[in-house]
Amino acid sequence: MLTKDLINLIAGATGKSKKETEHLLTTFNAIIRENLMAGKTVQLQGLGALETKTRSERIIVHPKTGERTVSPSKTQVVFKPVATIKDALKNS
Amino acid sequence: MAEKLSWTELRRTLAARAGVTEKEAGEFLAAFNAQLIEALKQDKQVKINGLGTFRLQAVAPRRSVNVSTGEEMVIEGYNKLVFAPEAGVKELVESQPSADEQPTPTTIDPIKKLGEQAQEIVGLLDELNDIRPEEPESPEIPEQPETPEEPAPAPAPKPEPKPEPTPKKYHFLRDTLICVVILLLLLLIGYFFLRSQLTSWIEQLGNKEQVEYVIEGEESDLDEEVVALTPQPQTYGKLITTERITPGSRLAWISKKHYGDIAYWPYLYDANKDRLQNPSFIIIGTPIRVPKLTPEQLDLSSEQTRVNLEYLEREARKAMR
Repeated sequence: MLTKDLINLIAGATGKSKKETEHLLTTFNAIIRENLMAGKTVQLQGLGALETKTRSERIIVHPKTGERTVSPSKTQVVFKPVATIKDALKNS
Repeated sequence: MAEKLSWTELRRTLAARAGVTEKEAGEFLAAFNAQLIEALKQDKQVKINGLGTFRLQAVAPRRSVNVSTGEEMVIEGYNKLVFAPEAGVKELVESQPSADEQPTPTTIDPIKKLGEQAQEIVGLLDELNDIRPEEPESPEIPEQPETPEEPAPAPAPKPEPKPEPTPKKYHFLRDTLICVVILLLLLLIGYFFLRSQLTSWIEQLGNKEQVEYVIEGEESDLDEEVVALTPQPQTYGKLITTERITPGSRLAWISKKHYGDIAYWPYLYDANKDRLQNPSFIIIGTPIRVPKLTPEQLDLSSEQTRVNLEYLEREARKAMR
């Protein structure tokens, strides 16, 4: 399912126009992006939390050549679903 | 990390930024959640532009053991909700911490180094090219103030013919010089590049030769030792146990289990020769005798043991064919 379909669904549920919904969704995305970039955890009530996780640097070995290089530490976006959502989707 | 953007804050900022009331923003967020879950149930995947993809990932059922009773059981397969950030978002977030963690680039990569070298050289060349054209200009600059200083019309034509041919010659010389320098630099780069590659090839070749040599050496050693030591018939003491072959088990594993190392598997083959046609295809359920090994038989540092094991292994490999 793509953004367009989701917008249609949300618009149908809230009774707003598609344009308004799209505007809301893009602002919503922007807010999440900015907060994640600032290293903040974004809590989506009833759904879960989007947070950043730092992966420490580690030595990686090229499987073919056996060459060892250091993979620099990086920050990743991780989504942690709420338990209820986890259970609800478990057997769907 | 400790900082959080709570749901209420999110609603407030969303309302302010999108120009709607907080109530409307809340409704939107609730609808977003509900519809996202519905969509996930339907499609297993929801792609949101500018954010990422929510996806249901199937986890296959797997076998496990009940920790308290030791009973085998099956953990049912289930779906896991995962989120993959969009490429742009991912990069943005990833690029963020590199600013406060400075010492990150410690890769040991010859190709990168060469690339950097090439870039440096290009930079130097650019500098050279920048400098060269300036130099002929610099003599002209002092000439110009000279001409206005001299008021007489007669001396004016005199300096004109003199400097004119000289800069031309200079230009010629400079141009050829630049060309030569660039060519030389290019040749140097090419030479270094080729040399590093050649050395790596030579090293590889050398390694191969060495490896071959080692193998040859071992074989010749073996032949001598077999002649000298000729140990063949192994006698085995009391049986520790008999292992029944289960699907997926190997002689090497049994060896590891009872003797502590997979290296002793040829003994197992030797002790069970009568039951095993081919050590790599053992019929399931075949009982494998696990004899007790003497300390000499277990001594991997002794030449004799090594020769014995290698001889038995060769026998086993013969049987595999």
